[in-house]
Amino acid sequence: MAPADDDPLPAGYRHLAWAVLYREYLVFVRYPANAVGGMVVALFFFGVLFYGGRMVAGRALTDSIEGLLVGYFLWTLSVGAYSAIANDIGSEVQWGTLERHVTSPFGFAPVVLLKGVAKLVRTFLTSGVVLAVMLVVSGTTLQLDVLTVVVVAGFSVTSVLGVGLAAGGIAVLYKRIGNWLNLLQFGFVLLISAPAFDLGWTRLLPLAHGSALLQRAMVDGVRLWEFGAVDLVLLVAVAGAYLGAGYAVFRYTTRRARRLGVLGDY
Amino acid sequence: MTTRDPGPEADGRSSAATRRERHVSVAGGRSDEGTDKDDVPAVAVDDLHKRFGTGADAVTAVDGVSFEVERGSVVGLLGPNGAGKTTLIKSILGTVVPDRGSVRIMGIDARDAPRAAYARVDAMLEGARNDYWRLTVRENLRYFATISGVDPASVADRHERLLERLDIADKADEPVRNLSRGMKSKVSLASVLAGGAEVVFLDEPTLGLDVESARTFRAEIRRLAAETGLTVILSSHDMDVVETVCDRVIVVSAGRIVADDTVDGLLGPGDTHTVRLTSPAFDRRLLATLRDRVEITAVDRLDRGARIEVTTDTEGLYALMATLGDHDVPLSRMRTVERDLSDVLVDLTAAEAA
Repeated sequence: MAPADDDPLPAGYRHLAWAVLYREYLVFVRYPANAVGGMVVALFFFGVLFYGGRMVAGRALTDSIEGLLVGYFLWTLSVGAYSAIANDIGSEVQWGTLERHVTSPFGFAPVVLLKGVAKLVRTFLTSGVVLAVMLVVSGTTLQLDVLTVVVVAGFSVTSVLGVGLAAGGIAVLYKRIGNWLNLLQFGFVLLISAPAFDLGWTRLLPLAHGSALLQRAMVDGVRLWEFGAVDLVLLVAVAGAYLGAGYAVFRYTTRRARRLGVLGDY
Repeated sequence: MTTRDPGPEADGRSSAATRRERHVSVAGGRSDEGTDKDDVPAVAVDDLHKRFGTGADAVTAVDGVSFEVERGSVVGLLGPNGAGKTTLIKSILGTVVPDRGSVRIMGIDARDAPRAAYARVDAMLEGARNDYWRLTVRENLRYFATISGVDPASVADRHERLLERLDIADKADEPVRNLSRGMKSKVSLASVLAGGAEVVFLDEPTLGLDVESARTFRAEIRRLAAETGLTVILSSHDMDVVETVCDRVIVVSAGRIVADDTVDGLLGPGDTHTVRLTSPAFDRRLLATLRDRVEITAVDRLDRGARIEVTTDTEGLYALMATLGDHDVPLSRMRTVERDLSDVLVDLTAAEAA
């Protein structure tokens, strides 16, 4: 529809990022039940883990409670980021909004990636609340240098974002396999605890190296600039590699879905 | 188009903003690559093919479809379920990759410059839900304008006019989920237009609407096309929508175009009448006499006499009446049969199937 008296200006990625983040914010503040529900469930499982573990393992658990808290915090972040992307795509299909994103001049994959980042920001907020409650409940203190925690946890979860993109792409292609893909969330527990096994190659897996750095940051109080260059480069490289691979898988699977004519089906 | 799959994301240019500039310049009426020439069709489809599956299970959904749509026109896609309408629309939109053929939007090849081509297009697919029900009406317009590559602040005034035009301005700050079905359809249409699309595809836009809402919706589509030059391609099983809104109708059957004409053209010549006459006096001899003067298209024998259907022009109708008068034939019933698009669709698709 050509305008009569106003000229539309082109939107850039800045506008797109703002639109996606603002939408996420609106849904978050307008419908807080989902977020609160997620936090309650996370805290419930932590309660089971903490009080149940204390009954069974006693002092052994309380001695390692800091590590458990950090791991659980990273796990809630990971699950939030992963399921947000995979589930969001399914919802968009059901709402009939998926195709509108596909025909966006920005391209589908960048839009989905930005939506993933928006979910990540939201997950950081809810996981932060969960962490705070866990600290109070367990009577534990952690080193919380915000810059270090946000950067290390952010890059750690970025690799999960890549896994989520790949899973979302596979769901677009094969449909209704969300339940199977959700099982991956339990794999995150292994990845987060991988540093405990001290296996060098696990550092290349998503979350593993980041989890080790986050433990050092939050338990031992190591600041971002106190990590070795190799550790930081590896953190960024793993995040970039998985995000890139996930992005590539997403592009491939959505393209294949368009070829098969199954993009909007669910 | 070969089997290469560039997709809407495959444009090699660096940013959506850069790509959008071309769209904006055209929307603003300035010359760009000749795409603002009035003689360039809004949509040009050439030899489009799409086949799903392989071997014995393969289904040809679109089979060599070609057509052009003039700017500012409203074109209906008609066809029975499974005729290939939705696949055709999705193939044009690029959400289904065609096997062969080309699509040009405002003169821009959708294969060579998909983002530039689709920046001018939006779609309301399969019913009313094409927006976020948790957001307000205005928030949806801003969001989808951005997704379409337009800075929402620059079209805020347009959005207000759009809301006024569609008579939903008083609901602008209401979450969509709280609105009635008819209102939701209007919001869906508004969000499709929010980014300044010049071509919109509407797939079953009145599905599930009550009579009044469907009527209002039809009027809005017609008015938008007339007042803004919007090009509309709509697919619907609602013949009222097609008859009252569309300048032209393309009938699709088994993936092929079996008719492409105006509504009047499809309904047949203007001076053609079909009447059903019932009389106890219709017997074999009289019917033979009548057949010498007009074409009798159907005969139903009754216990007494018969019911006949005659299709003829005005002159033939007078001749028929004169003949009946000459033979003192009493008519127990006479009814004019209005042929509508449903009949045309059934005839055309039946002929294609045969």
